[in-house]
Amino acid sequence: MEDLVLELKKDIIESLNLEDVKPEDIDADEPLFGSGLGLDSIDALELIVLLERKYGIKLKDPNKGKEVFKSVNVMAQFITDNRTK
Amino acid sequence: MAGRIAVAIADNIISPLGLTSEENYMAVKDGRTGLARYTGQWGLPDPFMAALIDRESLPSLPDEEGLTIFEKMVILSIRQALSQCDVDVTSERTLLILSTTKGNVELLGKSTTQRCLTPSCPLLGEAAKTIANYLRNPNLPIVVSNACISGVCAQIEASRLLATGRYDHAIVCGADVLSPFIVSGFQSLKALTDEPCRPFDIDRTGINLGDAAATIIYRGVAADALPSGAWTLVKGAVRNDAHHISSPSPTGDGCYNALRYVMQGACEEDIAFINAHGTATLFNDEMESVAIFRAGLSQIPVNSLKGYFGHTMGAAGILETIISMRALNEGIILPTKGYECLGVSKKINIATESGHTDSRSFVKMMSGFGGCNAAIRFCEYQS
Amino acid sequence: MLNGHCLETSGNGSEMLTDAYRRYVGDYPKFFKMDGLSRLGFIASELILQRLGEERFTPRTDRAVILFNRSGSIEADVHYQSTISDPDNFFPSPSVFVYTLPNIVTGEIAIRNKYQGETSFFVLEHEDQPTIQAMIEASFEDEGTTSVLAGWVDYTDAHHFEARMKIIIKE
Repeated sequence: MEDLVLELKKDIIESLNLEDVKPEDIDADEPLFGSGLGLDSIDALELIVLLERKYGIKLKDPNKGKEVFKSVNVMAQFITDNRTK
Repeated sequence: MAGRIAVAIADNIISPLGLTSEENYMAVKDGRTGLARYTGQWGLPDPFMAALIDRESLPSLPDEEGLTIFEKMVILSIRQALSQCDVDVTSERTLLILSTTKGNVELLGKSTTQRCLTPSCPLLGEAAKTIANYLRNPNLPIVVSNACISGVCAQIEASRLLATGRYDHAIVCGADVLSPFIVSGFQSLKALTDEPCRPFDIDRTGINLGDAAATIIYRGVAADALPSGAWTLVKGAVRNDAHHISSPSPTGDGCYNALRYVMQGACEEDIAFINAHGTATLFNDEMESVAIFRAGLSQIPVNSLKGYFGHTMGAAGILETIISMRALNEGIILPTKGYECLGVSKKINIATESGHTDSRSFVKMMSGFGGCNAAIRFCEYQS
Repeated sequence: MLNGHCLETSGNGSEMLTDAYRRYVGDYPKFFKMDGLSRLGFIASELILQRLGEERFTPRTDRAVILFNRSGSIEADVHYQSTISDPDNFFPSPSVFVYTLPNIVTGEIAIRNKYQGETSFFVLEHEDQPTIQAMIEASFEDEGTTSVLAGWVDYTDAHHFEARMKIIIKE
């Protein structure tokens, strides 16, 4: 799970163009949205693409994203439970 | 010469509902829609609802080989509009203004056996030049690419340049054709619905897109020479929210500022209706209701035409203006197809049935990606 | 080049824009989400606006942003197309798609500076100064506009781009 959390942090940084952010800057329990990362609605949509592209999880309802992207740990758990890749 | 006013003298709409403005307007009056549901279209994984033109059914043009479908639709539309008036398209006092969001972007996805595939082919300016050359217009055509408000911006640009007296006529044509590029893009934003769209409705779930080309030919006329019954572009404005590149300002700042500007010199009672953008996304329709409320215009009937045509992007601002003019020629306020129950926070007056009006003025408003908003107030001149 | 003087930069192609960001701006991480056209227009506008000596970042409706180019949003278009070209690797990117409209650069400038005036984008087959000049002058027909940030901002790819921008003030 720890490997997945680190992997996820790197993916988030890369796919959301968070150029000056390092994995150690992201607290795995802190809210992803409404935090210092400054993520917006487009970032949420891009994370939905990441879930499908890398882990084969298709989120049909974008509103479900609010729960899934609560924090990196929550995301990692969701991926562990639902991944098809 | 300076200070001439833009007067609409001819128009055309090409859409799944018809090849002339008249055919399109009659279809709207009958309550018909060009929208249909598509599954597996272009190999796209998710179904969508859209108004797609049957490309095979478009009339042929002389020497049309090598023209893309986008260029063909623009030329057909302009030619049909020209046939209604005596404007000389080959004159250097006639300006061509195109409004489009993606033009020939379809070419990016095609193999190199298509017309050509030099790097410049999908470029908007190239397409405009091809069109201008076909029509034998000698001027450098202007392409307005201001997202979904382009059609309104193009008309505002026409009115400004006609006011300078440099040109006598401006042929303003807006067009966009759907493609995997455009549809998949909107789907990635989760902005589309595969049901018929429901502008301002409490159960609205998103946009339907549509193919169309629409043309208005404007003439610059001195203020003391306006013909009675002529549609004039009185005031136009473009204003940015300065909020977000793809979500509208929750306080509708840009839309409100544009409305306020175009309403200068007019009062609420003058305006028969506001033809809104009304794309049926949660955020757009809410924002428009806030802007209308803030501008003190909540009593004015509001309608959206997206339920008949879908969101026709570059064509929308022009197409929806034409339909609005035709409706007001008959004193009609058209209903908002797909609307049943108010689903925005401000109590604005959505037109649900065909209504009657004696006013001969309306406001067209639109919003688009990049935070831009635009509005125009049109008046039918009464001498 | 700013007001006739060369500014120090380093890096090739688009790296130069990133270097310019770090050197002359540095406080706007949204820069890294932008496509090439938006980065180019953003940097050009920052270099001018930083040295204007006027108050910045207060909402105003009297400054228009009117930009022109030939290439539209071609870099973003090609990038987005690459996310949908392969049916076996079909993952359309929303963050790339939003930049497939050339006017987004005007939106980015407006957001940064809180410009709530007109923002417009026009594409021409080539940079025709008389046409551009006529259109910028005509933009003052909008009585709310007292100045225009205007320019030619063209970005084809990481090694082919140019921007020429200026502020024009109503007499």
